[in-house]
Amino acid sequence: MTSSPVQTLTAAARAVAATKIYGSGDTEVRALDAIEVTFEQGRFTAIMGPSGSGKSTLMHCMAGLDTVTSGQVIIGDTDLTTLSEKQLTLLRRDHVGFVFQAYNLVPTLTAIENITLPMDLAGTTGDKAWIDDVVGATGLTDRVKHRPNELSGGQQQRVAVARALAGQPQIIFADEPTGNVDSNTAAEILGFMRNAVAEMGQTIVMVTHDPVAASYADRVVFLVDGKIVDELHEPTPASIRDHMTRLGA
Amino acid sequence: MLRLALKSVLAHKLRFVFTALAIVVGVAFVVAAFVTADSLRSTFDDLASDINTGSDFTVRGALPFADITAANPPPVPESLLDDLRAVDGVDVAEGGFFVDGVVPVDGSGVAPTTLGGPIAGSNWLDDESLSQYFLISGAWPQGSSQFALDLVTFADYDFELGRDYQVVTPTGPRTFTLTGTMQFGFPENAGVGAVFVVFDTDTAQQVLGFPGEFNQIAVRAAPGADIETVRDRIETVLPAGTEVITAAEATEEFSDAFETFIGPFQTILLVFAFIVLFVSTFIISNTFNIVLGQRVRELSLLRSLGATPQQVRRSVLIESLVIGVAASVAGIGLGMLGALGLEALLSAFGAELPDGPLPLRLRTVAWAFLVGIGFTVAASLVPALKASRVSPIAGLHEDARPDAEHLRLWRSVLGAVLGAVGLVLVGRGLFADFDSTTAQLLSLGIGAAIVFVAVAVLSPLIAGRVVSILAWPLPRVLRTPGRLARDNAARSPRRTAATAVALTIGLALVAMVMVVGESIRDTFTDSLSDAVRADYVISTDTFSGVPVTLAADLQAAGVAAAVGFDEYPAQVESPLAPGRVDDAELTVTDLSAIDEVADLGSIEGSLDGLDPASALLVHRDTADDWGLSVGDAVTVRMASGDTLAVNVGAVFDQIRPPFWDEWIIDESLHRQTADADRFDQWVAVNVDGDDPQAARALLDEVLSAYPQANLEDRQEFQASIESDLNTILALVNVFLLFALVVALVGIVNTLTLSVFERTREIGLLRAVGMTRRQLRRTIRWEAAAIALYGAIVGVALGLGFGVGLAVAIPDTVIDRVSVPTAQIVGLVAVAVVFGLIAAVFPSYRAGRMNVLEAIATD
Ligand SMILES: Nc1ncnc2c1ncn2[C@@H]1O[C@H](COP(=O)(O)OP(=O)(O)OP(=O)(O)O)[C@@H](O)[C@H]1O
Ligand SMILES: [Mg+2]
Repeated sequence: MTSSPVQTLTAAARAVAATKIYGSGDTEVRALDAIEVTFEQGRFTAIMGPSGSGKSTLMHCMAGLDTVTSGQVIIGDTDLTTLSEKQLTLLRRDHVGFVFQAYNLVPTLTAIENITLPMDLAGTTGDKAWIDDVVGATGLTDRVKHRPNELSGGQQQRVAVARALAGQPQIIFADEPTGNVDSNTAAEILGFMRNAVAEMGQTIVMVTHDPVAASYADRVVFLVDGKIVDELHEPTPASIRDHMTRLGA
Repeated sequence: MLRLALKSVLAHKLRFVFTALAIVVGVAFVVAAFVTADSLRSTFDDLASDINTGSDFTVRGALPFADITAANPPPVPESLLDDLRAVDGVDVAEGGFFVDGVVPVDGSGVAPTTLGGPIAGSNWLDDESLSQYFLISGAWPQGSSQFALDLVTFADYDFELGRDYQVVTPTGPRTFTLTGTMQFGFPENAGVGAVFVVFDTDTAQQVLGFPGEFNQIAVRAAPGADIETVRDRIETVLPAGTEVITAAEATEEFSDAFETFIGPFQTILLVFAFIVLFVSTFIISNTFNIVLGQRVRELSLLRSLGATPQQVRRSVLIESLVIGVAASVAGIGLGMLGALGLEALLSAFGAELPDGPLPLRLRTVAWAFLVGIGFTVAASLVPALKASRVSPIAGLHEDARPDAEHLRLWRSVLGAVLGAVGLVLVGRGLFADFDSTTAQLLSLGIGAAIVFVAVAVLSPLIAGRVVSILAWPLPRVLRTPGRLARDNAARSPRRTAATAVALTIGLALVAMVMVVGESIRDTFTDSLSDAVRADYVISTDTFSGVPVTLAADLQAAGVAAAVGFDEYPAQVESPLAPGRVDDAELTVTDLSAIDEVADLGSIEGSLDGLDPASALLVHRDTADDWGLSVGDAVTVRMASGDTLAVNVGAVFDQIRPPFWDEWIIDESLHRQTADADRFDQWVAVNVDGDDPQAARALLDEVLSAYPQANLEDRQEFQASIESDLNTILALVNVFLLFALVVALVGIVNTLTLSVFERTREIGLLRAVGMTRRQLRRTIRWEAAAIALYGAIVGVALGLGFGVGLAVAIPDTVIDRVSVPTAQIVGLVAVAVVFGLIAAVFPSYRAGRMNVLEAIATD
């Protein structure tokens, strides 16, 4: 199996003057405006910002799901803007994890098959012990043979996070992973992600609108109109709310 | 609601096209069948009226039974000519001949061939318009050593005026000088596909074998005479066994005669058309089901906004109506193209049809719309009903849910009942006695159709599991893409079953044809080695056969045996069964030599010392049926009206159509009747075994005077029969291919819709790293798995039907069941390839999806 050209560095991912423009002329939207941001390894970063500020766009461009109009996106030491569509696909498969807001799982596959899907697609077996750890951490060990429609929304999201973790990727992007679940379930998922960073040394970047969710992160980055306007370290829900109010004003 | 329906059609143009395509092919078939047949009809109708433009009456021998397509009318005496000329109101009366099988040999020893058209010997008349033979160049032949030839053959085979040519006549090969070229009727008829060899009247009588006789007499009434009155007067002078028909009747008879060829041709094409339409119905129904399933949310919104179930139902039906109308229109266009293609094909074989517009009759258009709309709307009835049952608060996905328990029960019961009804009808069609072949075929056809419907109803019950089993190697060989392919094919059993059923029907028919074909081939091959003892078999492509002089010439040349065989329609009666009259195919041959070239099986009585003037051989089953045994009296009535009083000379138990049938008499006895046509259908020849090469050389020498005759040894004969059979089977399969193509369209359609439905899932797979190649592979093998399922079910059904048919067909045609295993396996492989091909477009589309947009769809 082909493997993608990424090596490990301390900065797991960076955006350098990354600009994303949708449309042209009158309808031109500058979703990312020469954005500069670095996500360090082993850190849990939350991205916040008003609707339409470009959070999802940033996630997609950084994860190789979309391409920037100008500037660079770097995972490890690979510049994504130099990669072909096929190389991007392999990069996503081997070095990036992604968690969407919903519908993260293939309905015909069981939970464990969903978790190992990227590795299966690569034709590799992955690190068996690690996968067992990840599955153990989801708390779903006795349900791994179930199909998604037999799992609750929260369980499904935990499986999705587990899938992102299973391949030990360079970095995991999660776009509002708790946007669709109640607060108890959200806490389960967020705790799981927090542990993955703290105990397994993973790098996670998460978009959220919820200050409580964001407070699980080591650092919060605030995005407005496609630019980083502020950031906060070791956040609490209160300090995040505080910042948001100031930015909103 | 109309606007909504139209919108829905327009919003999904591609799906619309694919859905309609299936019906378009079927309608095109219907149109092509009618148009080609009509075109042939108009050609022959024109020809028929041309032939009879110059005469008012034809006087000829009457056929007491059988019609002119089955037997030649007996000749009339020359003396009748004067009687007719003496009739008040008769202007002209001339005797004529038209004898098929009179073959001119060109300068290089080649005999012209036709596509079933006659190669006829005839005579010219002073009154050209009476015979419709017009001299084009040179002079009409005079005396016993001249002939004229039709213009087309003259040009095609490079004949030259003034040269001597050999003509193989019923009285043997003779040499004549070519004096002129002629044409029959009007220039448009130049390409009717017949060859005319024309002599003067006396010569024709001699060489065609009718001294003092004519085939018929053409009569023209005096100007102004009343046709009916003249006819009545003519009838007063006619001897028993002759009849007079008017030009109009002759024209109609001629057209009817051609209708006996054109009608079945049209029917066969229509049968294929209905097969295609039947297959299309499943595809359309399936498409509607899937689409409406995908639109559940939209439909329930409509319902909650106040649309009544009737309105929902109507909108679906209107949508299907729009598709039906469009498909019919497109089908008419495609059908006209198809008819052009068929005409090109026919003219490639030498049957030229007139130029000018193809006849698109109102009846054809009406049928096109009837079947186009009818089948489409019928296919959408069930989906429409389901759609109207969508509740205003339905939101859940329709097709992902497997059948509920009560539905499964309902399916099993309905499927079992339909299956039983269908099988009973098929069984009845196979084994019961029917008055008409049509009724029998209808019983078979409808039965088979019901069986297919039953399969479609039952199939969802097993499709999921069977597909999983059939596709077991996929995950092993192709890993995750294979795994997903298998699961996708198995995840919606109803959809998979409905998609596969089109292929099932097509392949069932192909497999059935294969089994029957193979069984016929094996039966024939064996019967040839069992029953035909001859070293060589001589046959010809002309309908009439080879002149009887050939067998005589061979005997004269010293071959060990040369036995001619021919067959005539006859009626049989016996004092043992008063009142019973059976139609029979009477075999005429040389009873004293038949034993040398044919194995008649075990004989009751003896073939030695039979009296050729009174002996009749009867097959055992027939003899038992009549209660006949050796010595019993039988009366055989010939189509000419002659009656033969014969006795059963022997009872045999091996019959081998087309070589010999249930009743056999000696040729010398038959030659005394007016029926005798001086031709043999085939000649069986034995040679001395000492020097095969010399024997062959001897045969070749005798046959060089008969270039229309094909000399084949046993192997060659067997090979040529097999190749004829293969041609027919191939032709049938080509037509069935259309059903398979429609099935292919069905798979494309379903897959495209499934891919569309799974957009988000595909986006997800791509997002987590599935390459385009892997995605395309997944979809390709999903299609292959569905196709394999359809093929396996189809082949199983086809084997069942084929074996049933092989058992039911009389032993004389099929006496065993042979299954061409390799071909059947090949068929399944082809089906899988079909599936892979069907996936090309959907997988291409899936690969082109934008990952982010795909994930974002709901
Ligand atoms: N495919 C697209 N075509 C055109 N414009 C787009 C497209 N995707 C996003 N945009 C625009 O880009 C801007 C950023 O969108 P993005 O989805 O990144 O916002 P977001 O921060 O994720 O918002 P939300 O919090 O609502 O998810 C918005 O103005 C949006 O309208
Ligand atoms: Mg967003």
